[in-house]
Amino acid sequence: MAAPQSNTDVVLLDLVEFVAEKDKPSAREGLTETIRQVGESGVDVFTLIDSELLYADLHSCVCPELTGVVVSHLETVAQVEEADKLIGQLEDERGIPPGTLEIVVSLDTAKANQDAFEIASASTRISGLTLGRAELVMDLRPEPSGEIHLMQYLMQKLITVAGAIGVPGYGAWWRSPDRGLLATPENTFEAAFRGRAIGFKGSFCVLENQVAPLNQGFTPGAKEVEEASKLLEAYQAAVSPGTASIRQGDRIIDFGTALQAQALIDRAAACEAYDNAKVDALAGRPVPAP
Amino acid sequence: MADHLGVHRSGLTMPVVTPRFIDNAWRRGCDFINMDLEDSVPQHLKGYARTLIKGAIANVTKGGAEAFTRINHDLILADLEGIIWPGLSKVNYPKAEYAEEIQTLDRIISRLERERGIRPGTVEIGANIETSVGVANAYDIAAASPRVREFGGAGGYDMSRDLGVEMFVGFDQFVYGKGEVELAARALGLEPHTAPFTANTTGSVGDPDRAFREAEAARKCGFRVGGGLHPNVVEPQIKGFTPTEEEVEEAHKVLDEYRELEVFGKTWAETDGQIIDRYEAARARKLLDWSAACAVRDQEKAEAVARVEQAGE
Repeated sequence: MAAPQSNTDVVLLDLVEFVAEKDKPSAREGLTETIRQVGESGVDVFTLIDSELLYADLHSCVCPELTGVVVSHLETVAQVEEADKLIGQLEDERGIPPGTLEIVVSLDTAKANQDAFEIASASTRISGLTLGRAELVMDLRPEPSGEIHLMQYLMQKLITVAGAIGVPGYGAWWRSPDRGLLATPENTFEAAFRGRAIGFKGSFCVLENQVAPLNQGFTPGAKEVEEASKLLEAYQAAVSPGTASIRQGDRIIDFGTALQAQALIDRAAACEAYDNAKVDALAGRPVPAP
Repeated sequence: MADHLGVHRSGLTMPVVTPRFIDNAWRRGCDFINMDLEDSVPQHLKGYARTLIKGAIANVTKGGAEAFTRINHDLILADLEGIIWPGLSKVNYPKAEYAEEIQTLDRIISRLERERGIRPGTVEIGANIETSVGVANAYDIAAASPRVREFGGAGGYDMSRDLGVEMFVGFDQFVYGKGEVELAARALGLEPHTAPFTANTTGSVGDPDRAFREAEAARKCGFRVGGGLHPNVVEPQIKGFTPTEEEVEEAHKVLDEYRELEVFGKTWAETDGQIIDRYEAARARKLLDWSAACAVRDQEKAEAVARVEQAGE
């Protein structure tokens, strides 16, 4: 199992995109065992399931080691409610505390994006939003500028909706010729770097060599952290009762700026803590026999 | 995309009160002619203009083009009474702002279709978004009548005036509004009438090279609806919106390869740097349907023109 060694944060086991229709029943068999094995390495395990096959897909994957599901082609509030209810029943049957399993909604159709806020507000399990492979599902193609048509609007809409309900938006700012999560490591880094700049918190990928560039692009760099720390120190040292903003070089630092710097430092620390946890988990694994 | 495959690659909007435009319209090779009652018709000719449509329909369609009419936002009843006659395909309604407006149009058109022996549902409504209120209500407007089959707007002169933004700039000043309108069209399965941004800082309307570049870029983004004001842009738009022979060949190849993949139960493969999967297959099928529809349309127009010429005009 190569996935955990790639240093990914999350493994998403796919039942939708890269499984042929006729292979789906066999793909569902033994899925919980795979989830257990993958989960041992300390990563969060999700499954990518189809909103039209909720019953079969959820029955095949709900187990205590599963963190949650990414539901693709989800278009209506009723589908979210159905998924929520079904997961609740399965949690109950399988000895999982109620409300444990998360739902990440893949808003990959036009209808889903049109009703994004209502859909995203339909369950307390919803822990993230993504556009998934919207460019393919909606057949969006590159413009002469290299931007993928409509994606800037859709990305901003998604991030705004995610912010409004208080969950992260997952994705990256892909450009032509990147396609359907396929891109070189260099382009993946660029997409992640731009993606972080517009508010995404992480992204899915399909190739092992994209994991490191995504981690790098989504983790605040050492230089950014250093600048943020300096800014924060200067602010804390200079601010006094009756003063809310200070000058630092050419910039005005106020309470909001300081908060933003703190958030960046916290984010970097969280990334580091998660990486350390993964290392520990990997080290704790039994060494396979040669 | 829409089930109804209208072919509206090129069309000229012209004042119906200018006989030399109307009389030559059939020779232009357009997919449609949009006879204007709105901004290109002076106020004192509004009443007269709408009486011309009935006679002009046969004139502008004899070369195979469809006949459209753009009415006035504030003169719905009088304009519709004047223009809904057999042969008219579409009413373009400018500055659409509320779903109720479209429902009113639908009701009046439905009555006039019955009174005048037109098959119910024939006349499309072009609900054009040209104001901020229209953007705010875009989805409801597009959903207001099944007669709305192509949907777009949120750019152009009226929109820039309404928003108070510059018209001819080197960046896309309408990202949000155009996004809202296009998403509404897609969510409802309508044909989005839009195009990727290309800078036009001069306001040129008659440059054929530019028209071709824009149409080609729009086609490559999956769009199919054109239209303009100057005869120079008709042919470049038709060329730009029609798939090339190479693209048709490529689409056949993609479908062949995809069928092979399916046989082996695989979901994707990469050949010569190109991905083949169900998304590419769907795109290829769409391109072939569109190419066939364009060919039928071109044939219809060629036959219509030949009939006119044979009749000795």
